[in-house]
Amino acid sequence: MTTRLQPDAAPASLPAPGRDPEVILDVRDLRTYFHVMDGTVRAVDGVDFRIKRGGRLALVGESGCGKSVTALSIMRLIDQPPGEIASGEIWFDGRDLLSLSESEMRQVRGGEIAMIFQEPMTSLNPVLSVGDQIMEAVKLHQEVSAKEARDIATQALRDVGVPAPERRITQYPHELSGGMRQRVMIAMALSCRPKLLIADEPTTALDVTIQRQILELIKVIQERTGTALLLITHDLGVVAETVDEVVVMYAGKIMETGTVDQVLLEPRHPYSRGLLQSIPSRGRRGQPLHVIKGVVPNPFRMPAGCKFEPRCPYRWDQCKAEEPRLYDTGGGRSSRCWLYDPRFRDRMRRYELEGKDYVPPAAATELTA
Amino acid sequence: MGRYIVRRLIGSLPVLFLTSVLIFGILLIAPGGPTARFQQNPRITAEQKEAFKKRWGLDQPWPIQYCRWVGVCNPEVAGNIVGVLPPPGALISQQGLPNFLPAGLGGGDNGILHLDMGFSITDGRPVSKVIGDRVLPTLVLAGTAWVLWVTIAFLTGVYAAVRRYGFFDSALTIFNYVGLSFPVFWLGIMLILVFASTLDLLPVAGMWDTRTVPPFASERWFALLGQRPDYVIIDLVRHMILPVITLVVVSIAGDSRFVRSSMLDALNQDYVRTARAKGVPERRVITKHALRNALLPVVTNLGLEIPFLFTGAIATETVFSWPGMGRAFIEATSRYDYPVLMGILVITAVLVISANLLADILYAVVDPRISYG
Amino acid sequence: MAERVIRAGVELTPAEVEELELERPDYEVQLESLNQWQLAWRRFKRHRLAVVGSAIFLSIVAVGVLGPVLLHYDFRVIPHANQIVYAGRAPSWVSGNWDPPLLMGETARLQRDVFTLVVNGARLSLVIGVGATIISVILGALVGGFAGYFGGAVDWVLMRIVDSLLSLPLLFIILVAAQFLGSGSWFSLMLIFGAFGWLGLSRLVRSLFLSLREEDFVDAARAVGVSDIRIILRHILPNTLSPIIVAATLSVAGVIIGEAFVSFVGFGVELNQPTWGNILTNSLDFIQQGNWWWAFFPGFAIVLTVLSINFMGDGLRDALDPRARI
Repeated sequence: MTTRLQPDAAPASLPAPGRDPEVILDVRDLRTYFHVMDGTVRAVDGVDFRIKRGGRLALVGESGCGKSVTALSIMRLIDQPPGEIASGEIWFDGRDLLSLSESEMRQVRGGEIAMIFQEPMTSLNPVLSVGDQIMEAVKLHQEVSAKEARDIATQALRDVGVPAPERRITQYPHELSGGMRQRVMIAMALSCRPKLLIADEPTTALDVTIQRQILELIKVIQERTGTALLLITHDLGVVAETVDEVVVMYAGKIMETGTVDQVLLEPRHPYSRGLLQSIPSRGRRGQPLHVIKGVVPNPFRMPAGCKFEPRCPYRWDQCKAEEPRLYDTGGGRSSRCWLYDPRFRDRMRRYELEGKDYVPPAAATELTA
Repeated sequence: MGRYIVRRLIGSLPVLFLTSVLIFGILLIAPGGPTARFQQNPRITAEQKEAFKKRWGLDQPWPIQYCRWVGVCNPEVAGNIVGVLPPPGALISQQGLPNFLPAGLGGGDNGILHLDMGFSITDGRPVSKVIGDRVLPTLVLAGTAWVLWVTIAFLTGVYAAVRRYGFFDSALTIFNYVGLSFPVFWLGIMLILVFASTLDLLPVAGMWDTRTVPPFASERWFALLGQRPDYVIIDLVRHMILPVITLVVVSIAGDSRFVRSSMLDALNQDYVRTARAKGVPERRVITKHALRNALLPVVTNLGLEIPFLFTGAIATETVFSWPGMGRAFIEATSRYDYPVLMGILVITAVLVISANLLADILYAVVDPRISYG
Repeated sequence: MAERVIRAGVELTPAEVEELELERPDYEVQLESLNQWQLAWRRFKRHRLAVVGSAIFLSIVAVGVLGPVLLHYDFRVIPHANQIVYAGRAPSWVSGNWDPPLLMGETARLQRDVFTLVVNGARLSLVIGVGATIISVILGALVGGFAGYFGGAVDWVLMRIVDSLLSLPLLFIILVAAQFLGSGSWFSLMLIFGAFGWLGLSRLVRSLFLSLREEDFVDAARAVGVSDIRIILRHILPNTLSPIIVAATLSVAGVIIGEAFVSFVGFGVELNQPTWGNILTNSLDFIQQGNWWWAFFPGFAIVLTVLSINFMGDGLRDALDPRARI
């Protein structure tokens, strides 16, 4: 039941979004707000990133930083009464998802972008069989008979490594273990060969050993089918194993971007640095655990300047006064920190940090927000 | 699944037993005691009194009286073991078989198990006949009301949940609040005031027009039904409208709210989000995914509502002079006619326990987690 | 004699120390520390319906307390006996006849002033409602608590008894008990409602206890050697208070409506002491003769009271919800 809409014939004068065949997802200045009794929460406040076809990118951050809301905004699964996608563009395969009608979007969901969630226990309908739920996805997006749908579903289960899929298809979710259920979710997501898979904390609710298996599975399938991957997680270990690029989020904004190696080995933002320093490691035995002091700000009373400023060890008045832009720090990386503004190069020099220096940017240019 | 049903069946037996003991207790606390009727009726001779006492074993300890009342013990056999338990001989009927068997199969003919509930104090008629006359009107009233209220509560609750915060939802909430605050009997009185008395649209009370229609379910009534079906049916419906509305309004107020919250819970579940993420059309999300799960607690609740059906019926039947079991109960209570009381209570208890059992079974059928888990 | 501050091998000047704000605490933490009840009160105040309901309810209580003092009802006295109107006079603002001034009209036959009756009836109806609820809550909490905490055989036996009592519609039992055992006084009626009203509450308390006793804090208390009774009373019970409070509020409403019916059919409080229910006795018979006010006003009082209690109950439910934040 798929009608492939023709990509919008965008006039040549439009900039890169949608026209770069290499890029499958291009999020531009996405802002999602929630209007609640006590005020407006800016859950996502100006987020940009791109994912290449077949590429793998992770959105990393603490709970409440807006990464899940970003994913749900891309899928347009935000409840619009309290929520509101206030502005931005989400270019997917040549179309701005935010401009599609609801029925067009429904075809995109599941068929072109698939999403798997954190809690496999509750994400499957307990009164429907596993096979029923997979076949539902198949029948929605492909013109197939019931028999063919069943075969596709069985094959999908086999692909994700579920043993004896013919038997499993008639079972109910409560008869399966957590890891098995997550495999079913993945099978359901990939059964329609989507171009992009969004995985929202897919392994957080699972045992460590199962986590490995599921991550491996996601990687293997993703490579085999050429599906792009957007991984949402707070676990830096998972990031290291699974993706190529990283976007660090905090308080609804992007704090740092770069490749996995760049960001994890040499973080260029106090927040990323703090996250990495907080990871306990054998090398620092006997030393007190490092923590990022303070808590995530109250969404109704965000700091006026840099959102991370109250907790930042390197802050000074400039940080309190004004919010920094996302600065290009070279090599395709960026960081939202005044330290990377060319005006404050001196300050950088004065900060000597334990074991690691800030690398002064070769040529600091501003990325206009 | 079958094992589950059997287990539940067996599980209800102790409850049934205890309830019957409790009902039997009424006999013991009834003012004037079991021989109260004799004071009122001078036509009973001394021999009849003795026979009565013997039959009901009124000189026996109460466990034996209980057995006779239930129908497990044969009233002809006197005496007792250890002053408390019935002698083994008492458990055997005159035909030599266990007394609790049906009379046709060789058992006794006394007690609840044989549908013998004693005799009414008021007019001496068998209780089973007194109740029998009243069952049908109550079924007609309560049954109709039940079907209507379940349907309406279900539809309105689901609709309000789906269109949350909409106009319908707010209206329903207001209706709920107000409806829950009305005593059933007073609502009936007000409806009579407005529609029957002031506007004179509908009859004030009763189940049929006594001037032109014979008593309900009597032979003459059926005869008239054959001759003039439209007249009889319309007469019945006209008399039913106000009582049914009374019963339905208060019940909807409670139920639709429950359906609504159950549906809202289901709609907030993760698997609904998954379904939407798959691209399932919203309509199917509601019917196939959310509704089936929302139904589970609603179905169980339906079973628990049955006692309320009876309670509501009492108030409604009293106010509208509806000749049903509820009104019989009130009349019997005010006349201290405890055999009728006990009879009605027994029937009610059986119905309630059966309804709960059915609800449990239904729940097991609908929820795969129970039957296979 | 300031301390020397060294960071990564470099000594910082006092000015730099100042700038880095190393000595000062990172930021001021301002937290309001409110206990559970204060938080609940805050949430309750925000619930408009609940506030309105509470206001109405308190006014009714005030009427119940002060009314009989100001407008004493003596069943032996027939007011306005100068003119006999069998069906009872209408309220003055309907009939236009302000001599005598009748706010709510008169009953039929005995021509009692409905307004006086309603005002006096408030007291007993409320007392029975609240009193019976208090009894039910205590009994229900005790039984349910024991059953839920100890489980096993104790639980099984207690719950079988409760189940069997619940197989009979509550109103049936209460009607019979009121007629057979009751003495026509408000006190005995209150006892009867209390004695049978605890059943539903015990089920609620039992399920609460069943889940709470698995909590870790119970194990911790036991490990320190706290006795079972103390655990039940001081550890688990306070955690069950919220749902119990909500259930109790709704129970008051239920008892008021229940008492109204029981008194209406004549099994409840005797006519020399008015309750909203027994005021209504026989009022139905005179509707055909045009007397609508006798049936209307007492019933309306009931509806208003129960409505306000329901609002309050809803507000309490939202306010005491443990999952709510802020």
